[in-house]
Amino acid sequence: MLKLLLSTALAAGLASGACAQEITVGAANVSSYLDPGRDHSNVGSQFYYNAFDTLIGKNHDKLEAEWVPALATEWKLVEPKVMELTLRDGVTFHNGEAMTADDVVFSLNRMYQADFPPYVVRSRDRLSNFLKAEKVDDLTVRVTVEKEEPLWETLLNLQQVMIIPEDYTKALTGDPEVAEHDDFEAFSLAPVGTGPYRIAEFVPGERVVYERFDDFWGEKAPLAKATVQHIPETASRVTALKTGEADIVTNIAPDQLALIEADKNLRTVGSATPLFHVMIMNVNHPKLKDPRIRQALSLAIDRDTLNEALWLGKAVVPSTHTLEEYGDLYMPELKTFEYNPEKARQLLKEAGYDGFEVTFDTHPTYYTNGLLAAQAITEMWAEVGVKGRVNIAEKWSGRSPEMMTRNWSNPMYFADPFGSFGVMWAPNGPSEGEGRFNTDAQYAEIWERFRFSKDVEARKAAYAELMERIRQDPPVLPLYRPFESWAMRKDVSWAPKPGHIPYVLDFRAGSISFASN
Amino acid sequence: MLSYALRTLIRMVLTFFVIVTIVFFATRLSGNAVDFVIGEGMTTEDRDLLIKYYELDRPIWSQYLAFLRAFTDGQFGLSFIERRPVSEMVLERIWPSTQLLLSAVGLTVLVSIPLGIAAAIWRKSWIGSAVMVVAFLGYAVPNFVLAIVMVLLFSYWLNWLPVVGNGTALHFIMPTVALAGVLIAALTRFTRNAMLDVLGQDFMRTARAKGLPENAVILRHGLRNAGITILSVIGLQVAGLAASGSVVIEAIFAWPGIGDLLVSSALRRDYPVLQFGVLTVALAVIVINAAVDLAYAWADPRLRHTVKG
Repeated sequence: MLKLLLSTALAAGLASGACAQEITVGAANVSSYLDPGRDHSNVGSQFYYNAFDTLIGKNHDKLEAEWVPALATEWKLVEPKVMELTLRDGVTFHNGEAMTADDVVFSLNRMYQADFPPYVVRSRDRLSNFLKAEKVDDLTVRVTVEKEEPLWETLLNLQQVMIIPEDYTKALTGDPEVAEHDDFEAFSLAPVGTGPYRIAEFVPGERVVYERFDDFWGEKAPLAKATVQHIPETASRVTALKTGEADIVTNIAPDQLALIEADKNLRTVGSATPLFHVMIMNVNHPKLKDPRIRQALSLAIDRDTLNEALWLGKAVVPSTHTLEEYGDLYMPELKTFEYNPEKARQLLKEAGYDGFEVTFDTHPTYYTNGLLAAQAITEMWAEVGVKGRVNIAEKWSGRSPEMMTRNWSNPMYFADPFGSFGVMWAPNGPSEGEGRFNTDAQYAEIWERFRFSKDVEARKAAYAELMERIRQDPPVLPLYRPFESWAMRKDVSWAPKPGHIPYVLDFRAGSISFASN
Repeated sequence: MLSYALRTLIRMVLTFFVIVTIVFFATRLSGNAVDFVIGEGMTTEDRDLLIKYYELDRPIWSQYLAFLRAFTDGQFGLSFIERRPVSEMVLERIWPSTQLLLSAVGLTVLVSIPLGIAAAIWRKSWIGSAVMVVAFLGYAVPNFVLAIVMVLLFSYWLNWLPVVGNGTALHFIMPTVALAGVLIAALTRFTRNAMLDVLGQDFMRTARAKGLPENAVILRHGLRNAGITILSVIGLQVAGLAASGSVVIEAIFAWPGIGDLLVSSALRRDYPVLQFGVLTVALAVIVINAAVDLAYAWADPRLRHTVKG
């Protein structure tokens, strides 16, 4: 009898465990606000994909882009500069409203014709070619661009143009007929989308609670509930995993991996995240004006050694500013950056380097291994005779005319060289805007060809020209793609998918499962 | 007693105004919010747009006046980062911190007063010595070390206690003990010393001569008289803890308290949150001190008479 009771209880437990799956994620960082439009941070990108959809979707199981229907079922160019999209019928927002063409037009134009300053900023650096979205009928919209666009799908798949409900958003504050700035502010605390999970609770900086959204248009979410809880301390995250308070934890430093792997109940997964930790060099600093000095600073850095020492060899050191995710535009054949201490010494001699001190600014903790890398880099400079000094500060110094060199990151905002190098190093882009990088008419002309040529080969040729400009007069050295790790209970099957931008916590169907016993 | 309370109140208000002003200017000495709020890698045009939108370009005197005005209309503004009212952000963090503080103080009082009395009564036996050794050790171990050792022992190895957040009563155990550790050590020693001072006094001998049982002598006459010292130590320690002490402990246990909020808003230069948070803590400290002042006067009639005279 006891046996029977026990086995019944066991079976019941297993059954309920299998269908009412709930998980808790211990995250190093939780967003302060949740609005896919205004956000492009690595912290934010963890959260949007579970709750929001884009018009054009992507097969995230593949590294290279394969576009799939999402909120739009079909799309075609009706004119060279006009794309017509057919919307999926029967899509419902988390608040119960049906998604209409009006919601789509509203969501797109909040970026394309942005007036809310945080949207304006995001729109300018990646969506400036997009002029407007218009409704044709209830299930058809048209999007118009200024110049013929080679990256239609890529830019309709962006996090920034995820679809949000118009009426709900407008009614959040003030006049319910008008989209005011305060409406968007309020939205970022009470976000509503069309994804497989609704955001049931959001405590900024503390917690995001997802619940399965039963009216989702696609395959149902595998989890009934997922709580992402802020656990700032690495040691506490690991302990929470051991005690069972968390099922998955994020941002495990490389030196903690062995500790976790030693526990038979736990495992880790990791990947070289599609972003570069880079060193930037201020081309306008009086002492660094001579490109040969900057070339030498770059040539003196043995990035493979940094990778071995800091990342156990698991990071990826690039030969140029390129990522495998770019597909046809992945160009590892370009050799823009290399380690060559002899050449560095020679260039320093030619440039008449007189032993002045070169500072390397770093935040104490922001980038994993950032401080250690800075110290190693100044040691490597010493090898070629450059006097380097690490300058630790919390403040972003990239705008300061006194900044000589420092660390930064160039994330892959979308899978195209435009989505990483292109955003950061565009003419009049952020780097030039901060006064540490210069472009000229020729650079701008090459950049135009790279950005807008419809022919892939022409884009590649232009990108190679840009990289050659960067090699000759370097403002940046990509150090490596850092290796980012997650740890989890052994029975949890989850891993970052290759087709995502960095750090996405994807809990959609097919992305997470549990061992049957 | 009433005029004593009134003086205390006036002193509170003045202190508060001074703190308001210092907090406002001191937070701004630590760097320009623009560099932290706007973020890195931005064109001048975009940067100017956001500076204007976040009203980071207002002159400092106008910000100060707006800050003072907030006390009359209760509008403390929006967080630069989270874009919601700072009062809401701070208030939702106060209760978890207060709970933790109260449970730590409660544990301290429950443990250290009996220990201190025992150490005073049996000061020459091994009991007294043992208590003092433990008290010294407790004083020497920083609270975060105690916290980490407990986490290792009770969570990491034994898996008895949870480490994240404040969800259940079990969650309180480790952070409470970690915070109370130093307090217990301090208060035990003070209680012992205060009791020792009192035990030799004439009135104690009188009480015993009256034929009171020893328990009553110690508790009613001894403890009541030692109470002033004990009270002031509790007040000071609690105020200190409220002001700063729990920041590290809150980080270790992912406790959603005000210490965590203050540190993160300081790092991000989220001035509206920082200044409102610091003020709230300052106000708490002032109230605690005033309460201790009043409690003295209640416990010791001599005090309110001297003040009057």
